[in-house]
Amino acid sequence: MRGVITICSVVLFLGGVPRTARADELQSVAAPADIEFFEKKIRPLLAAKCYSCHSSRAKKLQGALQVDSRASLLAGGDSGPAIVPGKPAQSLLIAAVQYDPNAEFEMPPQGKLAAHEIAALTEWVRRGAPFPGGADLPAGSPGEIDFTQARQFWSFVAAEQQPLPELKQADWPRQRIDHFVLAAMERQDLRPSPEIARAELLRRVTFDLTGLPPTPGEVAAFVQDPSPRAYETVVERLLKSPHFGERWARVWLDLARYTDRTASWLYSTGQAHLYRDWVVQALNEDLPYDEFVHRQLATDFMSETGPEDIPALGFLGLSPNYWKELQLPSEIIKVIVADEWEERIDAVSRTFLGLTVACARCHDHKFDAITMKDYYALAGVFASCRIKERPTIDEALYAPVRQALLEIKKREASIAELKKKKPLPQAEIDALTAQITALRSDTPHFDTPLASAVIEESLHVERKGKTMQSGTKLVYQSQPQNLRLFIRGNPNRLGELVPRRFLTVLSATDQPAPFQTGSGRLELAQAITTDGASLAARVLVNRIWLAHFGRGLVTTPSNFGQSGERPSHPELLNDLAARFITGGWSLKQLHREIVLAATYRQSSRDDGSRSETDPDNIWLARMPRTRLSVESWRDAMLSVSGDLDRTLGGPSVSLTDTANQRRTLYGTIHRREMSTMLLTHDFPDPTAHSPQRIVTTTTLQGLYALNGPLVLTRSEALARRLLAEQLTSDRERIALAYELLFTRRPSDRETQLGMEFLGETSGAARVNAWAQYAHVLLASNEFLFVN
Amino acid sequence: MQPAFNHLFSRRHLLRQSAAVPGMLGATAFLSQQSLAEGAVGTAPVGCHFAPRAKRVIHLFMNGGPFHGDLFDPKPALTKYAGQRPTGTDLVTERPTGGLLASPYRFRPCGESGVPVSELLPHLSRHVDDICVLRSVHADNPNHGPALLQMNNGTILPTRPSMGAWFLYGLGTENEDLPGYVVLCPGKPVRFSILWNSAFLPASCQGTYINHSSIDPEKMIPHLRNAKWSQETQQRQLHLLRQLDAEVQQRNGQDEAFETRIRSMETAFRMQFRASDAFDLKQESQRTRDEYGEGHFANGCLLARRLVERGVRFVQVYYGNSQPWDTHSNHNESVPKLCRTIDQPIASLLTDLKQRGLLDDTLIIWGGEFGRTPTSENGNGRDHNHHGFSMWLAGGGVRGGMTWGETDEFGFKAVQDRMHVHDVHATILHLLGLDHERLTYHQAGRDFRLTDVHGNVVRQILA
Repeated sequence: MRGVITICSVVLFLGGVPRTARADELQSVAAPADIEFFEKKIRPLLAAKCYSCHSSRAKKLQGALQVDSRASLLAGGDSGPAIVPGKPAQSLLIAAVQYDPNAEFEMPPQGKLAAHEIAALTEWVRRGAPFPGGADLPAGSPGEIDFTQARQFWSFVAAEQQPLPELKQADWPRQRIDHFVLAAMERQDLRPSPEIARAELLRRVTFDLTGLPPTPGEVAAFVQDPSPRAYETVVERLLKSPHFGERWARVWLDLARYTDRTASWLYSTGQAHLYRDWVVQALNEDLPYDEFVHRQLATDFMSETGPEDIPALGFLGLSPNYWKELQLPSEIIKVIVADEWEERIDAVSRTFLGLTVACARCHDHKFDAITMKDYYALAGVFASCRIKERPTIDEALYAPVRQALLEIKKREASIAELKKKKPLPQAEIDALTAQITALRSDTPHFDTPLASAVIEESLHVERKGKTMQSGTKLVYQSQPQNLRLFIRGNPNRLGELVPRRFLTVLSATDQPAPFQTGSGRLELAQAITTDGASLAARVLVNRIWLAHFGRGLVTTPSNFGQSGERPSHPELLNDLAARFITGGWSLKQLHREIVLAATYRQSSRDDGSRSETDPDNIWLARMPRTRLSVESWRDAMLSVSGDLDRTLGGPSVSLTDTANQRRTLYGTIHRREMSTMLLTHDFPDPTAHSPQRIVTTTTLQGLYALNGPLVLTRSEALARRLLAEQLTSDRERIALAYELLFTRRPSDRETQLGMEFLGETSGAARVNAWAQYAHVLLASNEFLFVN
Repeated sequence: MQPAFNHLFSRRHLLRQSAAVPGMLGATAFLSQQSLAEGAVGTAPVGCHFAPRAKRVIHLFMNGGPFHGDLFDPKPALTKYAGQRPTGTDLVTERPTGGLLASPYRFRPCGESGVPVSELLPHLSRHVDDICVLRSVHADNPNHGPALLQMNNGTILPTRPSMGAWFLYGLGTENEDLPGYVVLCPGKPVRFSILWNSAFLPASCQGTYINHSSIDPEKMIPHLRNAKWSQETQQRQLHLLRQLDAEVQQRNGQDEAFETRIRSMETAFRMQFRASDAFDLKQESQRTRDEYGEGHFANGCLLARRLVERGVRFVQVYYGNSQPWDTHSNHNESVPKLCRTIDQPIASLLTDLKQRGLLDDTLIIWGGEFGRTPTSENGNGRDHNHHGFSMWLAGGGVRGGMTWGETDEFGFKAVQDRMHVHDVHATILHLLGLDHERLTYHQAGRDFRLTDVHGNVVRQILA
């Protein structure tokens, strides 16, 4: 395989994961003549020609192969042992130095050794490769992972409800959460902040649960509600709002790397938005989270769900697809396909399990108890399904539509041919066009939308002809496949066959049972919420917590492994996760508990003492003042100016269109041509799983706040709305603006500043002045931040 | 924690904080030396690992892939064996190719160094003593998309940050009033914005794409001008904004995030004028315009100079829409035309930077995503060639008047001192004072680098 193109992190040198040498190999004793031969001919040669890359002294060890001890030569590398003592013809080292065309390597790479040097090495191996003098053992051999011990890691152990801690201020808690939070505060000598004022609380909870601001009417109703359960009533109303699903779907879609447009080379009529709308609906219906997971990975395997649920598969169906140029050798295409599988593993393992399984593609995970075999056991699942659009009705019902589509295609081709003729055979064309129209209208279910989904087909990348030059063909088979381990992550160097199965460390035994049904997607999904339940629950609970408090209990929300952070409140996370599972995985119950908690109802005002003691607000002795996401900011602008289109679901609409008054959730997400407005405002790159948004403040954002077409349009609309109100004075209008935007009345000074800015104007100048004023309010910090 | 990661640790710490204190990070990425001096922003970007040789970079991107054998790497053997396929020409590229296709262009030794440059580039050849031609660059994939990604993002995966994003992450910007990373293209290169994305790095590190098909600054930069309000109105608005904000902060307590954001708007206000100034070619004298010549690429070069002069860290000038250098057919008809549109502009850019004393610490990179085959495609075209091709570097700490590495006698494969794209990246980062092995970002369970686990700095080309 000379001349193969090296790709990515694929290393084509001799090398491999060091393995522990067996004792008997170390005990061989060399004869004096052999020792002399070795010291005279071999050691100097190895030192001069090989050690710079293949010894414990190598500045950069190539392929992890060391040739400075017999043990490490025997332990060998990816391609197996470097030498077979006594058998030069079977020794890779010899083939490599001979520049054997059948060997993968030509060593040393700088140039072939002299003939007598090769002969000496060959003779040395023939003599049994004696290597005297306490040569070092290969350092750092990981040995076998002790999974029993690994399962004791904090995030893997079973989540259990925790006893409530003793508290000094025992009258503060409203929910179980509060007991744990307060206990931690008290350990830090912190005291909780006072409860926030009602109007502000309503603004906070309404944005948090629906992504929208409350109306002045809602504020007034809540502020004046004498019932002791007034807040509970509000929370129930918000949890029932269809906008709840819209707000929280976006949180999920960041993880799912949602896009409205798939790669241009994927011919697809699948409608991505069906997946987005499915997520909204699932959240609104409070679909239990375990079901939510199962359906996204394998709803097509579940007897209890029907074809209308197929859009759930969009999590996989909208995965990034990398270009595969089939004129290239299959060796290259295999790497690209392997990269795609890695992407799926990365997205699935980080989203659902908070584990970075993709790290184990080329070697066992450096930190976590995840082996390469675990990786390839999962990769086999994704290698056994194919991205494909699927109807949202029974395949049997849809079959005639497929037939009709074929017929239409034929006729369209005929029309294209006819159009080349002169004179134009108009009558024939009309007849065919009429047939097409008839096929469209007469075929039942013709307009059934197709969802971006996956089907059960395994992909095999094969040479098209006999040689590398002949290009590549992609062969899809209905049978699932197990993968052979890719040595060093290189799909062109295969190791042992790995059956598809779940991660060892999350399974009850060290030999998890292979998946039996199809690709194994359903078994994988079920394993995540059974064997992996505690971890999956911890990860999910933490994500919801993060979205409410701006900081996770674990600050690495998609890495719950060794290299991730430890929880700030371990008992709380444990308690929440355990009850999340036993309570039937209800997301709404989780939200309810969080927003009803005293912790959540604290003020974000800080007299300075708390932020001094706890600048990162780890101990939650106050609520953070958070900035609205770009979605909420835009939605709020539309809402307060009276133009928000509250329609649920449907195809996406471009955000550059200022006439687009739908929620930002429905703005078009295009991986390759991202909306400038979104990108400028911290929207995550939709090509990969995004664990958490990074909030930035940039000059380009400033420019948008000053000049963005949306901000200007909304300013005018808000001005018109204020001017249209039947109010007695401009002071009243200013007050209304404050109620709409900030859920409060302005102070006298604020009113005064507004009046001075507006000045004495009339007619068009008056509208302009109000639009300029509205612009200032919409651009203000108070509008963008939530107390 | 290794000591080498201290910088990054503070960076990561900052990142974590920034969730609680919005704004810090963006301010960092758009950091100006001035604001540092004012103490406006508490923490610097990663910062240099050692003294930089270059402070800013201009990348002249010949998208589509030029043939080195026409320009910087003469191969007389192509004429000798024209039409044949001698041993060594059986390498796999994107498409099947036939026999060797001679390059009809003459070379002559240029400058004091005598480095040969093609007759197609008469103006540029006068600068050869400032140029280091890398003749042994090679990449992993002969397809435009993956190769563009590798040249820009270090890997063929579309999920990694671009090198410009790494530059900003490492060094920040020197002008708060302008984006730190500007991508100029009269149209859209293949793969478009993924080539300058920030991926997991902060969004503020991404490139700002400017289509300079029109040279009117207001058409180039989105939202640069207010469609409705005058400058005076904007000033009044900002004044009111500050006053109202003060009221709120008095009520709710001081908030650093509030202050940072207001300042970002005030900066944006100034940027409206500074940027229109920076992007306004009409402010150049007719003489300068003439020296650079006409056409989008000439305008791009001149814009690049105006931007780096104002402290923009990284400017990429894509030659044109889609992939103009992709000469699969009628290669020899296209190449002279293409060269005419780059020769004078690049030469003038080098002269101009030198005259302004900027060439010493501005690194110029020239190249495509790969080269082209010495063998012919369909008789008169050339296919993509990632096995060996030329790029060149100039200015910013690069030894001029030299060539580095060699391709085989046909120019098909790099054979001597092979320089992978990872090595090019490692060397560029080195010139910027960044150690490619230490410029890392921790996410998804491991530290990521522009050069992944590869890359060697080629010290022989450093001045």
